[in-house]
Amino acid sequence: MTASYDSQPSVQDAEPFFVGWAGIPARLGPFLGVVALVFVVGMAGASFLISATVNDPGDGTFRWGWGPQTLTGILTADPYPVLHITTPIDNRRISQGQSILLSGFGKRGVQDRAAALDGQLVQARGFLLTRGEIVMLQANGGADGLRAIEPKPDAVPVQLPESHPLGRWRIAGEICDGKCVVGAMRPGTGLAHRACANLCLIGGAPPVLVATDRIEGHQFFLLGDADGGPVTDAILNHVGMMIQVDGVLDLVGGLPVLRIDPVTLSLP
Amino acid sequence: MTMRHVPVQWNRTKLLYDAVLLVAVVTYVWVFIRVAPHYADTTRPVDDAILRMRAFGTCAFLMLTVILCIGPLARLDRRFLPLLYNRRHFGVLTCLVAVTHAAYVLSWYYAFSPTPPLEGLLRANASYGQVLGFPFETLGIFALICLVILAATSHDFWLAFLSAPVWKSLHLLIYPAYAAIVGHVVLGYLQDAKNPTFALIAGSGALLVAGLHLAARRSGHPRTTEPAADIEPGWVPAGLAASIPDGRARRIDLGHDERVAVFRIGNRLAAVSNACAHQNGPLGEGRVLDGCITCPWHGFQYRPEDGCSPPPFTEKVPTYRLKVANGMVYVHRTANPLGTPQPLVPLSGSDEEARS
Ligand code: FES
Repeated sequence: MTASYDSQPSVQDAEPFFVGWAGIPARLGPFLGVVALVFVVGMAGASFLISATVNDPGDGTFRWGWGPQTLTGILTADPYPVLHITTPIDNRRISQGQSILLSGFGKRGVQDRAAALDGQLVQARGFLLTRGEIVMLQANGGADGLRAIEPKPDAVPVQLPESHPLGRWRIAGEICDGKCVVGAMRPGTGLAHRACANLCLIGGAPPVLVATDRIEGHQFFLLGDADGGPVTDAILNHVGMMIQVDGVLDLVGGLPVLRIDPVTLSLP
Repeated sequence: MTMRHVPVQWNRTKLLYDAVLLVAVVTYVWVFIRVAPHYADTTRPVDDAILRMRAFGTCAFLMLTVILCIGPLARLDRRFLPLLYNRRHFGVLTCLVAVTHAAYVLSWYYAFSPTPPLEGLLRANASYGQVLGFPFETLGIFALICLVILAATSHDFWLAFLSAPVWKSLHLLIYPAYAAIVGHVVLGYLQDAKNPTFALIAGSGALLVAGLHLAARRSGHPRTTEPAADIEPGWVPAGLAASIPDGRARRIDLGHDERVAVFRIGNRLAAVSNACAHQNGPLGEGRVLDGCITCPWHGFQYRPEDGCSPPPFTEKVPTYRLKVANGMVYVHRTANPLGTPQPLVPLSGSDEEARS
């Protein structure tokens, strides 16, 4: 017959018995002290190791310190609103021929206002964000942020920026929302930031492909669809991760624009 | 009867326990957002809001890892039992840390948008069909809901309201919650991290939890796998009476998940259910203190002679009939109705010897 009781070794009789309401038995004190110390020091050590080894989020930032900027240029609305600077500003932070992405406050684009200003000479006012070669202006609300202006009588007539074809490319990199990646958030890239990026894109921020390797000297590419229109809905499933995509590359003004074929989006 | 029995109120042990927890959490967050960034190799610092969400998120993950290690550690080495005592406060604090993490995420990644935050949470990333880019936030939300349910029902009121078995089953939610958090971390933050440090820490934590549970399971109850057989109808043998150490118990498996703890109190024996009325704690691993059977988990006490907690407490565990013949103990497999007085049985089987 099987006896199914457990006999407890007598050595356990020497163990102190802990009862919470009766306090910690003196003989357990040192042991529990060590456990508490290991816990606190272990947590602090893990915290340091995790926090000190984060990815470099890059140099993107809001240029609050530069104060509000007033820029003048030709606005193109497609695929996403861009201002091509015609008049440099005094502080030389922005030069003639530079092309600047536009956004509204927060996770909002300026498509509504830009549609009515497409191809016109525009004065834009707001704060700049910069990351390396890419610049964005967060336009103030309403006409203060974006408004058409009359060219001076003696000025050369308004001309749309030139477009230089750079050929067909397959580019590997990460699709980001143009606002966070230039510095609205640090980091503004990666899968952890994906939902935030998608909200920005849905709200109207321009999608930007950050290429793994420089192509024709460029790292940041504004995306559009094959016809040069917006491409937001077709890319939402591929934001924030390493992908590759085929497209036709043009340098429009000072900005490389990749007109992609969304069916070619794939993991590299 | 003893009046030291105050299981649900503050006492020095709980205060000390909670103080250690608070010191650990505050130090963790402080080091994460104030100290370590000075040593990080970054062109410009990470946003404060993102630092905070990472600090609280990783802290909650590590806290839950430690919580899940406590149970098996206490099984493997009884010196860890005091960590089990106040584990509920540990759980509630972990829930608060996790909620803080979620609040920072909502008020940063989901803010400043024409889409309301909660709608954004459901809409912003809907790629459920892919592994890379899977909406790992959903896993975090599931885990958070579990943690909130567990924290909200952690008070003894719910234990009494739901009954110990239901409450215990509900609180097994901690395991799916932990699995979801591991998925949340693996499909989210770890996909981006170029440095393997956090992957190593998170991976070793999860492995430790799994390893300790396996080890505790293997060392658990080596002698109680087969239920005892009756020698005469209803009576189950429980070994030699004299070999039960004074003030302690021997556990008998009756089958069907029913266990009895046979306690020795001086020269007498008493049998009660092995499952504590509080949280099903293993009464048979307890001791007799102040004449009462005392649970090793939170110190609830029961009188050996009727299984009732001493007044003013009202918990009860069933008693069992016992007899001793030729030095062997036998337990009757039918539990007495709750509160039934059951005279203690002398070790020798007869009262004369017991008195001598
Ligand atoms: S005292 Fe909590 S389970 Fe026994």
